[in-house]
Amino acid sequence: MTMAVTNAEVQKGFIDVRDMGVTFGANDNKVVAVDNVSLNVQPGEFVSLIGPSGCGKSTLLSIVAGFVQPTHGEATLDGKAITKPGSDRGVVFQQYSLFPWLSVRKNVEFGLKMAGVEQSKRNVTARSLLDLAGLLSFENHYPDQLSGGMKQRIGIVRALATSPQVLLMDEPFGALDTQTRVVMQEILTNIWQQFKISVLFITHDIEESIFLSDRIYVMTARPGRIKAEIKVPLPRPRRAEMTDTPEFASLVQELKGLIREESLAAMAPEIKDRGLSGFGMKVGPKGVGEIF
Amino acid sequence: MSVAAQLTAFQRLQLLLTRHAGVRRIWLFVRWLLMLAVTFIGLLGVTFFIGRKIPIDPLLAMLGERASAQAYATARVALGLDKPLIVQFLIYVRDVLHGDLGMSLLTSNPVIDDIKRVFPATLELATLSTFIGIVIGVPLGLAIGKYQRVRDLFMPVVEILRPIPAIAWVPMSIMLWPNNEASIVFITFIGAFFPILLNTIHGVHSLDGVLIRAGRCLGASESRLLLNVILPGSLPHIFTGLAVGMGVAWVSLIAAEMISGQFGVGYFTWEAYSLVNYPAIVLGMITIGVLGLACSGIIRLVGVLMMPWLAFAPGSKQ
Repeated sequence: MTMAVTNAEVQKGFIDVRDMGVTFGANDNKVVAVDNVSLNVQPGEFVSLIGPSGCGKSTLLSIVAGFVQPTHGEATLDGKAITKPGSDRGVVFQQYSLFPWLSVRKNVEFGLKMAGVEQSKRNVTARSLLDLAGLLSFENHYPDQLSGGMKQRIGIVRALATSPQVLLMDEPFGALDTQTRVVMQEILTNIWQQFKISVLFITHDIEESIFLSDRIYVMTARPGRIKAEIKVPLPRPRRAEMTDTPEFASLVQELKGLIREESLAAMAPEIKDRGLSGFGMKVGPKGVGEIF
Repeated sequence: MSVAAQLTAFQRLQLLLTRHAGVRRIWLFVRWLLMLAVTFIGLLGVTFFIGRKIPIDPLLAMLGERASAQAYATARVALGLDKPLIVQFLIYVRDVLHGDLGMSLLTSNPVIDDIKRVFPATLELATLSTFIGIVIGVPLGLAIGKYQRVRDLFMPVVEILRPIPAIAWVPMSIMLWPNNEASIVFITFIGAFFPILLNTIHGVHSLDGVLIRAGRCLGASESRLLLNVILPGSLPHIFTGLAVGMGVAWVSLIAAEMISGQFGVGYFTWEAYSLVNYPAIVLGMITIGVLGLACSGIIRLVGVLMMPWLAFAPGSKQ
């Protein structure tokens, strides 16, 4: 396989985000999406970013991917400032992003084709990656013939085809059902261990972030700031049974507490607008009642 | 008594149709053929009866005013004009089915020869104009769709020129181009161009942004993004534009041919009117219809061949 990992490569893939702020719009319509965020991903580390919806976590990922320029602060990959998208960062999107007009194999080959790799080499790489994803027998199918889980697996190996140093994942399993999700998480950890690649993973699913990550950043509601940084000391390789252990459960508890406050804060204006405050919703400490 | 036995023959036939996709498809095809046959017999009937009932006596037109009564009578019998109309019509239909569209009573040429002579020109002009429409419309549409600056430059012009029907370009076109053929191509091109252009722009705009971002992440440069993501992604809309453009081009082409008085089926049909040759008018119309049908059929076929993935796209009929 062309992307066999050497020790030298393991040292690459260091993402550093420093004092990052993003503001959309101007004057009265100004929205601060992300405010003063600093975070990093060590080479070969799996880091999750978790927070309520609309907290700017996807914006952060867009900056690291190179789609959005920060208003202040900077993001670097291995010391170089990130200014535009590039194949040194593989991106897996929440929406299915396979090209519907290309066969599954041609989709995986796409990045290599753009890099000018010759057809026969592209073919070999794509086939070995599809084999890894367990989808070699579907190489000549079109994406619209496949299920959501299959599409995302192909999306992941397509992002890996150009041997990027980091993988950026924006809620890649958000559209999948729970059973498929759990299987996909296991597949992802396997792939990650094989490739020894740095991953920045965006999610709002607490169990998912614990199961996958070495480290988790919890973000606040808008404007997004880093609220907490939590290490996940669970041993590797991770298995589905681990989710039943007390260690896992206590991590879930801790994260749930942190997220709940932020989710309520994020939803407060909506709840108020819909007149729900009149329903006497008091849900204990840090519940709805406290916010109003 | 079983349920099946209680059904009438008609109900059984209906069941057969709903249960077997193959039978249904054959039935739909047969029905289509029947409709086509009815349409054509209807048109032939119109051709024939108008041809026979016009106030101008075809024999007089053929033989001239000073022909002897003897010659007149012989010609009348030779052409079968002494038989009852319905018999004449049946003979006519038989001849048509044998590929013999009869003689033009006024020009004495076999009508089929007349048609054969004129329709290749029409097809050539239509193909050439649509081709130019694609070559200019698609790249310009992609550029307008993708780049704000190109849009700002071209869109105001497009918005002003678009509502002008292709036919309104005739005087300008005659002055602009050295000969009739070039004018006709230009007018037909105008007809094809705007639907192709606007649908291409629409195709670029309705392309899912995540595909463009995915392309960029995978290392596609701007030009390769255009060629490898935006163009194939817009292809379904481009083909819609092509189908519409072909239709408009066809209308414009026939009208331009009629005005030019030199080429094609349009000219043939118009000339038939000038010569009061009613059967030829209707045959011209039928030819125009059949050729138009063939052109849009070809575009649909090319579309299916070029975009096999659409068979699996959400919302397709499978």
